[in-house]
Amino acid sequence: MKKINFYLLEYAINYILRYKSKNIFISIVLTLLVAILASFFFVQNSLKLEFESTLDAQPQIIITNQKAGRDTTVDEKVIDKLLNINGVGDVVSRVWGYYDFSHMNAKFILVGIDEFENQDNATLASIAQNVDLNVSSMLVGQGVKKTLSNSYYRKYFNFILPDGESKKIYIAGTFKATTQFESNDMIVMNKDTLRNIFGYKKQEATDLAVTVNNPKEIASVILKIQNMYPTFKVVARKDLKTVLQSQFNTKSSLFLILFMVSLFTFFMIIYDKSSGLSSEEKKEIGILKAIGWRVEDVLKARFYEALILSFFSYIIGIIIALFFVYILNAPILKNIFIDYHTIENNFKLPFVLDYETLLLLFLLSVPVYLFATIIPSWRVATLDADEVIR
Amino acid sequence: MIRLEHISKIYDNDIVALDDINLIFAEGELVILKGVSGSGKSTILSLIAGLLKPTKGDVLVDKKHISKLPDHFCSQYRRDNIGFIFQKYNLIPTLSVVDNILLPLIPLNLDEKELHVKLESVMKMFSIVHKKDIIVKNLSGGEQQRTAIARANVNNPKIILADEPTANLDEKLSLEFIKILKELKSLNKTIIIATHDPLFFDLDFVDRIVEIHNGKLVCS
Ligand SMILES: Nc1ncnc2c1ncn2[C@@H]1O[C@H](COP(=O)(O)OP(=O)(O)OP(=O)(O)O)[C@@H](O)[C@H]1O
Ligand SMILES: [Mg+2]
Repeated sequence: MKKINFYLLEYAINYILRYKSKNIFISIVLTLLVAILASFFFVQNSLKLEFESTLDAQPQIIITNQKAGRDTTVDEKVIDKLLNINGVGDVVSRVWGYYDFSHMNAKFILVGIDEFENQDNATLASIAQNVDLNVSSMLVGQGVKKTLSNSYYRKYFNFILPDGESKKIYIAGTFKATTQFESNDMIVMNKDTLRNIFGYKKQEATDLAVTVNNPKEIASVILKIQNMYPTFKVVARKDLKTVLQSQFNTKSSLFLILFMVSLFTFFMIIYDKSSGLSSEEKKEIGILKAIGWRVEDVLKARFYEALILSFFSYIIGIIIALFFVYILNAPILKNIFIDYHTIENNFKLPFVLDYETLLLLFLLSVPVYLFATIIPSWRVATLDADEVIR
Repeated sequence: MIRLEHISKIYDNDIVALDDINLIFAEGELVILKGVSGSGKSTILSLIAGLLKPTKGDVLVDKKHISKLPDHFCSQYRRDNIGFIFQKYNLIPTLSVVDNILLPLIPLNLDEKELHVKLESVMKMFSIVHKKDIIVKNLSGGEQQRTAIARANVNNPKIILADEPTANLDEKLSLEFIKILKELKSLNKTIIIATHDPLFFDLDFVDRIVEIHNGKLVCS
């Protein structure tokens, strides 16, 4: 094997340094483009992961009731009948809903639990097992606690009941959440307390969560329930996923615009670069040819030069993006993606290292820059040296 | 041995720079190409160096058809055989003296010791070693020329071509160049110098003076 020509490498590095201001400009632009695009990808992937893990905590089938086209409550009496359907493992009634804490600009989800029920959500299950909630207390997520105490609700909160009365509920503590959505969004209290707040009657529930023993039977179970209760809306977790994802993709279209703009800028630079070398640069190539460099020697030097510059910019860009997204938690950028219940959220993006993104950005920056550098040099190097140096 | 056989060169703008030139340069010969400006001297040097292809005719160096070599081999031929001292030196102004002199050796990827020996000896020979780390654009004209000469000799070529070597030098520096020339001649190199400087016309170690006029040889 031929050994690496370090003199050529040194010449290439020297070349970058000799055209310092121009190369600094190019590498700053390249670095920023990589950093911006990478940040978007990182935030997107990170949120996707969070969404998916939130969804995975959802039951297999959810039943809601509809009246005149609007969601209404489900009567717990149907549970026994549902349990008789073949394939149904368990049915749990759920009482939950959003409550608008409008004066603190936040919307939290209130979830009711009952210690006698099976909980298929890991967080709720652990709360139900370990904590005894009395009728006038609640547990809040860490993030929720923060938001509440920022508005000076450190011990209790007064909920407004449908009839206009207020009800004081004490904050008994915080719970350990499995997802960040839970931590930032969720308040857990006794089911009956929550019925009181929402104005439900005794056996009313927001929806029913159905567990199916054999996942292959989910579709047929849904069909059976639907036949038994035509007014019910029966949704599988799988379908929820597609709904959420489509919402997510519309957010991504904003990103797509930015992506195009960045690419456009990048290609403008590339175009400018490939459209020609300065006379000084041309002359240098002519001189090298005249003193015995072959075309391939010239191109090899330019290759090293472009590779060093673009790879350096790429790495720095990725590091900046990692820092911005996972250490600074993507200020501004995150809010474009999340129009999320808490406006004033302290959601921390989970780390996902996505090789596809890294590869895509690498391919967009390094090889493109290499070509843009080598092709104009190649054009000059193949001219008669005499013509170039005269 | 260098042979030009029926060489004509017509540039793209229809200027006839050379018209049916026949010339032979023997090994170790020192020849002066003389002629007024525009007569075609530089064109001859470029053809011998393979920097230019003739419109008609053939350039042979040691029986190799230089004018028919593909670009790739032309570069290699230059690297191994030719030391060209250009009229405007053609140094890279933003590189140091030693980096300029190193340039022809870079593609050879020699080991460090060998490279060092070559660089040091050539810089000593042409008295530029004390300026080796100076950036070329900060050198005086004479120092630039010595750098260019050192670069042309670093590969130890058999053939030295010099285009108007004294055009940018004062009398003292011109005489210094003559001294260098004598030294190169004593190394048995084939040397061809294109010039109209009368200083070269009555040197005792010059073998031959060839005159060109309007792209044709003047019989003497
Ligand atoms: N690249 C070129 N394109 C067009 N014409 C050229 C080119 N190079 C040289 N010429 C023309 O060819 C003729 C010979 O040029 P050349 O440079 O060989 O002359 P020269 O004897 O070296 O002159 P000088 O003493 O001025 O250097 C001139 O008329 C010149 O204008
Ligand atoms: Mg000339």
